[in-house]
Amino acid sequence: MRRMFIVAGRVVRQLLRNPRFLVLSVAAPLIIVYFLKIFFDTLPPTFDVARYAVPVAAFLVHFLAFLLCAIALVQERTAGTMERMFINGFRRTEIIAGYVLGFLGLATFQAVAGLSEAIWLFELDYDEETLVTLFVVVWLLAIASVMLGIFISTFARHEGQVFPFIPLIILPSVFLSGLLVDVDELPTWADWLGHAFPLFWANDVIQEVIESGWKFEDVQSSLAVLVGYSVILLLFASLTLREVE
Amino acid sequence: MNAIEVSGLTKKYGRVEALRGADLSVRKGEVFGLVGPNGAGKTTLIKGLVGALRPSGGEARVMGLNPLKDRAELRQRIGYMPQSPALYEDLSARGNVGFFGAAHRTPDLRKKVDEVLRFTELSERANDPLHTFSGGMKRRVSLACALVHRPEILFLDEPTAAVDPQLRSRFWQTFRELARGGATLFISTHLMDEAMLCDRIAILRKGSVIATDTPRGILERGSTHVMVNRDGAEQEKTIGGRPEDLAAALRPYGLESDVRAIDVEADSLEAVVLSLIEKEEVG
Repeated sequence: MRRMFIVAGRVVRQLLRNPRFLVLSVAAPLIIVYFLKIFFDTLPPTFDVARYAVPVAAFLVHFLAFLLCAIALVQERTAGTMERMFINGFRRTEIIAGYVLGFLGLATFQAVAGLSEAIWLFELDYDEETLVTLFVVVWLLAIASVMLGIFISTFARHEGQVFPFIPLIILPSVFLSGLLVDVDELPTWADWLGHAFPLFWANDVIQEVIESGWKFEDVQSSLAVLVGYSVILLLFASLTLREVE
Repeated sequence: MNAIEVSGLTKKYGRVEALRGADLSVRKGEVFGLVGPNGAGKTTLIKGLVGALRPSGGEARVMGLNPLKDRAELRQRIGYMPQSPALYEDLSARGNVGFFGAAHRTPDLRKKVDEVLRFTELSERANDPLHTFSGGMKRRVSLACALVHRPEILFLDEPTAAVDPQLRSRFWQTFRELARGGATLFISTHLMDEAMLCDRIAILRKGSVIATDTPRGILERGSTHVMVNRDGAEQEKTIGGRPEDLAAALRPYGLESDVRAIDVEADSLEAVVLSLIEKEEVG
C-alpha cells in the first residue's frame, strides 16, 4: 500500500510538472467540443443536438484518457524506469494501482471539464440527478479508459506501437457503441461486438438519462458493467505487465 | 560465501544465445570488472543477476540468494545502475533519488538522500529538474539512486559510458570509497583503462567467460617485445608478459657497455584481451 501511494505521488508530481501534457489532456477535449458546437450550428434546427453532445464529450474523454495513460506507461518502459522500479523492489500491483490513483485525478478533471463545457455550450437543461449521473458515467468511463491504457501499454515496446490500437479499439467503438447510430439499427453481430467496448455501456446510460422520466434502475446494470470492465482490465493488466524478461 | 556465484548461466532470445554457459565468482568487498566487446552479453548477465530476466539454464546466486525466487529479499540488498540513465526528467535530482530510495523502506530516507546527494556532489542542484542537467550529472543522479539505500552489492552497467575523463576519475574514486566501506562492486565496461582499476576482471566473449584474473594476471598472458641495440646492431625478441620473462631475456646481455639501448614494448590490456578473444574464435 505504501509503495502504491509513492508511485501515485510520483505520477501526480510528474503530471503537474509537465504543462504541455496537462494542457493537451485538458484543453484538447475542450477545443474539440467547441469545434463540434460550430459544426452542429450549421445543421438544420430539427437536428437533435442533445442526442450527440454529451456522448461526443464522453468519447473525447475516453480517447484522451486511454491514449495519455498508455503513452505515459510505455515511456516508462522505453526510458528504462519501469525496469528500474521493479529492480528497486516495486511490485506489479503497486505500479498499476499507483498509476490508476495518479491518473484518477486527471480523469476526474477531464470528465468535469468536458461535460461542463458540453452542457454550457449546447445549452442543455438537465435536473440535478441527471447531471450527477452524467458526471458519474463519464468519470467511470474515464477510469475504464485509464485501465484500458494500462492494459494496452503492456503490448507496446515503444510509443509508436500504441497507435495501431487506436483503429483497432477506439475507432470501432465510435461506430458500434451507439454514439452515431442506435445499435438497434446495426446488424446483430455488430450489435454484439459493440457490447465489448466501454463506450457502449457509457452511451447506454447517457442516452437513457438525457430522456426525461428515467429511473436509477434503468441504468444501474450498465453502470455496474462499466465498473466491472475496469476491474477486469485491471486484473488483465496486472497479469500482462512483465516484471521479468 | 562469495558475493556472486554464476555457473553455466544461459539465456536465449529465440535463436539468439545471449549467454552461453557463463561461469564466474565474485568475492565480497571486491571491485569486479566484466569486460567484453559490445554484444558480448554483459548487460544480459547483469540483468540475470539482479532478477530482471529469467535465465534459460544454469544457476546464479547473489549473497546466496536466487535472483528470481528470492528477488523481494535480494532487491533490498542490491543497487543497480543501468546503462541508460533511467530517470524521470520532469523530477528533480532529489525527487528521483527519494522515489527510488522509498522503494526500499530506507529508515531516515530524507537524511540518506541528502547524504548521497552530497557524496555524488549534487547538493547544489538537488532541486533542479533533471532535463536541465548535463549527461554527466544525470549519470551521477543515476548512481545516487543506486546508492541511497546503502546496498551490499552494486551492479553498475557501463557506469562511465559517454562520461568525460575528469568525471570518470571521480566516479572511480567513489567506487573505491564504496569498496573500502565493504560494498562489493560488479562493473561492466569495455574501456580497458577502467578494467585496470578493478581487483579482478572476467572477459566475456559471445556469452561465455573466457578468462578471469587480476588485470596484472591478464597482462602477463600477453607478450613483450624487447629491442636491444648492441654495438649498433638491432636485436628484437618477443617474450612472455611476466616480469620474470623480461629478466630472463635481458640476463645474457649483462648490461655490458656495448649495450647502448633497451626498448621494451609490452602488450596493452586491450591487446591481450583482443588476442584472447581471437584465440577463442580460432580455437
